[in-house]
Amino acid sequence: MSINGAGFLLFLALAAGAYYLLPKKHRWLVLLAASAFFYLAYSVRAGAYLLATITLTFAAARGMEVLRRREREELDKWPEDRSAVKKRGKRRRRMVLAGALVLNFATLALFKYLDSWLGTANRLLGLFGVSQAFRPLGLLLPLGISFYIFQTSGYLIDVYRGRVKPEGNFLKYALFACWFPQMIQGPINRYDKLQPQLLRGNDPDPVKIKRAIQLMIWGVLKKAFLADPLAEAVAELFDNFTQYQGASLLLGSALYCVQLYADFSGGTDLVRGASALFGVDMAENFHRPYFARSMDEFWRRWHMSLGEWMKDYLFYPLALSGPMSRLGKRLRTRFGPQAGKLAAPCLSTVVVFLMVGLWQGPGMSNIAYGLWNGGLMSLAMIFAPWFLKVNQRLDLDGENLPFRVFQSLRTCGLVVVGRYFSRADSLMQALRMLKRTVFHFGWGSLGAETFLSFGLTGTDWLRLGLAGGTLLAVELLLEKGVPLRERLDQRPAWVQFALLFGAALLLTAFVYLNTDYTAIMYVYENV
Amino acid sequence: MEELMNILTETCPGIDFEGQERLIDDGILDSLNIVMLVGELNEAFDISIGAEDLVPENFNSAQAIYALVQRLSDE
Repeated sequence: MSINGAGFLLFLALAAGAYYLLPKKHRWLVLLAASAFFYLAYSVRAGAYLLATITLTFAAARGMEVLRRREREELDKWPEDRSAVKKRGKRRRRMVLAGALVLNFATLALFKYLDSWLGTANRLLGLFGVSQAFRPLGLLLPLGISFYIFQTSGYLIDVYRGRVKPEGNFLKYALFACWFPQMIQGPINRYDKLQPQLLRGNDPDPVKIKRAIQLMIWGVLKKAFLADPLAEAVAELFDNFTQYQGASLLLGSALYCVQLYADFSGGTDLVRGASALFGVDMAENFHRPYFARSMDEFWRRWHMSLGEWMKDYLFYPLALSGPMSRLGKRLRTRFGPQAGKLAAPCLSTVVVFLMVGLWQGPGMSNIAYGLWNGGLMSLAMIFAPWFLKVNQRLDLDGENLPFRVFQSLRTCGLVVVGRYFSRADSLMQALRMLKRTVFHFGWGSLGAETFLSFGLTGTDWLRLGLAGGTLLAVELLLEKGVPLRERLDQRPAWVQFALLFGAALLLTAFVYLNTDYTAIMYVYENV
Repeated sequence: MEELMNILTETCPGIDFEGQERLIDDGILDSLNIVMLVGELNEAFDISIGAEDLVPENFNSAQAIYALVQRLSDE
């Protein structure tokens, strides 16, 4: 079931109706039934994989709870050996956690990377005359696997750390793991934030439902009027890059940045709206990322739920690990205190972004994308004192508007370069495109005719300009702190209704009843 | 507490720790600050602050950090 089709709206209406009609304490069962239906309608086989993950992580969390209870009993029995008992208990829980995480991520690796690894092995063996030593498995990536694997792994780590009490009811836990709005492309929700909302049996709140519908409409508008038309032009530029000058390729990467944002944030708006229809607020994923003034800030505003996940479950454990601490000490003795302090965060940042790159796919271009981002952020940490000095010497005030605009544009430029790697089909393609951009820029090659050669007509560009301009205006106002939604709420009811009705009409005409339009799959739907 | 305040101001210059109650919640201490701070605290007080201790409640104020250091020193 495509979430951009009318069928999804019908499904939502029926599920919401059933949810609010049932007694409070049984409402969560409707959410579970709706989620199971949504996922099984996609694929029964994928549903079996999902069930396996749910069972594994549920059992591991219960196992850790049993071990925690045993530790408490041992502490009562031998209070004098407190430290040893605690250490032993932690070690046992860690073994359960490690085993479950290895199995969980092995599932992800099996679906996502194995065929690519087998292909590489075949190519390497081919050099020695061995042909096709391994046959690719050709497994189809189950919907949302990256997201539910990360979400359930986060839950396990939280249980291990004692931050949350494990769920004792299998069905209730299953709901947390397969809540349908998060299954397309996240966000990656946290158990302590999501689970209470799923289980408490929310009452219908007209304001919340109105805002949910607004958010859904906004999301579909972004996807249908910006992301999907742009996808065509971007594909043309990247697929036939040898036919274009560097300026067009740079524009192509910039357009891809807009496409990706409209696609990913639009999809996130739609599913967050769908979730809010049931009174369930999911994690935020975007906070106007293209206004960020540094790469660090960009990554705190872009795909926030993944960033938070990486920070809590990978960056901190890695940066605070024994080997990192020892490395820091060694570098401190050798190169001074600053080197000692920066070693752990810089190296951990590079590792985290390598993982972010690999999360997007197994190719070398994804690794390069991770290194580009991690490297830039590490360099920013290393040279931060130097930048500060330069700014002071040039008397640059951090709050000065032109300087802030310059910083945002600089960040956008770095993001655009990085996207060459994440959009290109291979590392070689990305490098060749970058080479063309630098050495064959072709100033003045971006005439009207070139624009029309990307597969879009003048009307398409006009519509894109309108859609992009509207999005930019809304984001600018929000960035300036204008409370647009609250202001809309204060308007007379007929104005609010007319706006909503107008937008719904636009969508019905151009999306739901338009036989020429079929929503393109979300970029991150298949990661 | 005095030793702790010295470490805090030396490791994170420019951050006013006096009277701050929302260092994490308001994004005043970022992840880089936290990692550097933990390294210094581990070294100075011979403790081991782990990833599981990195919750806002433990780092939102100088008092909270002091309580964390004390708790880990006692363990």
